[in-house]
Amino acid sequence: MNKKFTRGLALAASAALVFGAVATTQANAASEVTIAVQGPFTGDYAQLGVDQYPGAQFAVAKYNATKPKVKIKLIKADSQCDGTVAANVAPGIAANAAVVGVIGTSCSGEARNSIPSYKAAGLAMVSPSATAVDLTDPLSKNNGSPVFHRVVVNDATQGPALAKYATLGLKKPKVFLIDDKSPYGAGLIVAVKDALPAYGTVAGQDSVPVPLSDWTSVVSKVKASGAAVVIYGGYDADAAKFVKALRDNGYKGIFAGGDGVDTSAFPGLAGSAAEGVRMTAPDVPFDTLVSKAVLKDFQKITGVKVPGLYVTSAYDSANIYIDCIKKGNTTRSTILDCVNDGLWKGIGGGAISFDQDGDVIGGAAVGGYLVKKGKIIYDKKL
Amino acid sequence: MNFSVLTSEFWALALQGTALGLIYSLIALGYTMVYGVLRLINFANSEIFMVGTFSTMLIEIVVFKRAIDLPALSGGKLIFVLLLTLMGSMLVCALLAMLVELVAYRRLRARGTNRLASLISAIGTSIFLSESVRLLSGSRSHSAPRVLDKWSFGEVAGANFRIDTMMTIVAAIVIFIVLEIFVTKSHLGKAIRAVSMSEENSKLMGINLNRVITMTFAIGGLTTGAAAFFYTTTYENTVFNVGFNLGIAAFTSAVLGGIGNLRGAFYGGLSLGLLEQFASAILGSQWKSVTVFLVLVLVLLIKPSGIFGEAVQQTRT
Repeated sequence: MNKKFTRGLALAASAALVFGAVATTQANAASEVTIAVQGPFTGDYAQLGVDQYPGAQFAVAKYNATKPKVKIKLIKADSQCDGTVAANVAPGIAANAAVVGVIGTSCSGEARNSIPSYKAAGLAMVSPSATAVDLTDPLSKNNGSPVFHRVVVNDATQGPALAKYATLGLKKPKVFLIDDKSPYGAGLIVAVKDALPAYGTVAGQDSVPVPLSDWTSVVSKVKASGAAVVIYGGYDADAAKFVKALRDNGYKGIFAGGDGVDTSAFPGLAGSAAEGVRMTAPDVPFDTLVSKAVLKDFQKITGVKVPGLYVTSAYDSANIYIDCIKKGNTTRSTILDCVNDGLWKGIGGGAISFDQDGDVIGGAAVGGYLVKKGKIIYDKKL
Repeated sequence: MNFSVLTSEFWALALQGTALGLIYSLIALGYTMVYGVLRLINFANSEIFMVGTFSTMLIEIVVFKRAIDLPALSGGKLIFVLLLTLMGSMLVCALLAMLVELVAYRRLRARGTNRLASLISAIGTSIFLSESVRLLSGSRSHSAPRVLDKWSFGEVAGANFRIDTMMTIVAAIVIFIVLEIFVTKSHLGKAIRAVSMSEENSKLMGINLNRVITMTFAIGGLTTGAAAFFYTTTYENTVFNVGFNLGIAAFTSAVLGGIGNLRGAFYGGLSLGLLEQFASAILGSQWKSVTVFLVLVLVLLIKPSGIFGEAVQQTRT
């Protein structure tokens, strides 16, 4: 080791100590902490993040209005529902000393690639919508414990509910299964397939590399299979193209998808082809849970007239952090401990806590949603 | 492997593959025309296509006040709107192609820089156009309104002869025939061919090189604009990066058929469209690109100049 190198190393070490001390002091004397909301805010799947952000925004605005000792600042971290983008965004969030918790990620692929950074930084994640099973599977290399948590049930629960809802009203129909090769889409279809024997039979299966412009070869396969039901595992923008291609080519069967399809943008993207599309999501619409006065307040603060999907779970996720901060936890480690050990009441009235793998204990039941006259309506609890 | 789909849906796949392939062919013309004259891959052509799709959508929404929730048009109004939108898209793409030539290539050519500089300039222009539209469009997919109802002439052997599919096929064939006649018979076409054969000799013959090159870009832009119109009318959506996948497919078509010649672009696109459909049906959608590029590599190994590269050298643009 030469002298120059040794001197450089010593300088770097001193700098690290000084900055570390400054950061610690800042954390101790925090009058404001930052929570990052991570999800897609631009890109093809932006609606998912755009829909759920107001839930967190509303909860934090209400809290800050009480003039607390420690205020919360929300920042958006846009990882576009894309694992590759998330792998670049997450280290930046982890390196931002002001951030003490993450609400997110929205998508499972994002979560998969963000977890390593947050694990290394000891930064808690509470996701309002990432449902892939492997994120909380202790045997999976993608397991996010102890930092990853989600307030929604996972696809091991959503899959059977989707199989049931998609085939509702038909007697053991033939079902065609398609996924978009994403961690979420492929995982959901695995869960649907496992549950399907109770509700129907698999007529065929395909995995589609998205984005795809021309879906006609997939349509041909669906028609050749004689399937009465198509279940798609993926997100809204691609589902819209697919269902349009199906209807334009004369397919009259049922089209169903999971929570990735269930965004407020979907009916507009698919046009008249969206009519009758069935969707599931482990979420209860916010406007069905709150009073008219609260809804009015929500509309005023967020500027959103009709709360979209996962507003409820984003609101619950934010309130978990708010409660932890109220209790005096303002550092990453204390907040992580608080999230791991706490017990809260969701806006739906049920208790929320997390098991050792980060899965929710309690949480909303999976709901069935339907597109009617160009609007998504909450059909029933499944 | 699933051969049962192939047997039961063969004609449906063939028809859809033909329509998609001809859209590739029209975009491929943008590459092949420029390559024929300049020996340059105009990578910005994929983004010219993308701008064409947005132009089509915007003309329908802004000029003709169409919206997602409005019903499709019919009768004379439909024909009027379709024709004007097609012409608008072609015009925008032609003008953009001419502008790209002027800004990105002409000065480099005048200074006698090597082709590598032009190639980098082409890639830079492509990124500039794509990122500009990304910023302007909020980087998400946009649905185009339904102008043309997707009614069918009928179904034969499982193949659905839908109006938009048939319109794309017929119009693309007409455009190719017109272009072939133009290149072989017209004064400008002959000049383009002369420049393609020898730049130096063309100059000696009094051909205005810059004018010929600009017009070549314009013709490539016109066919790419037509492709953008048929794409948007059929699939009714676009996004800032739509040109990437379609551009690669079109470029592959041009290389497969033999880059630099018109018929090569036509048959290359057609082959690719059919190959994609059949590969998706038999092997599964995830194997589509693998199959296509495997075939491309094999063709180039056996015939490096592409299927028609050498055989119809004389009709090269």
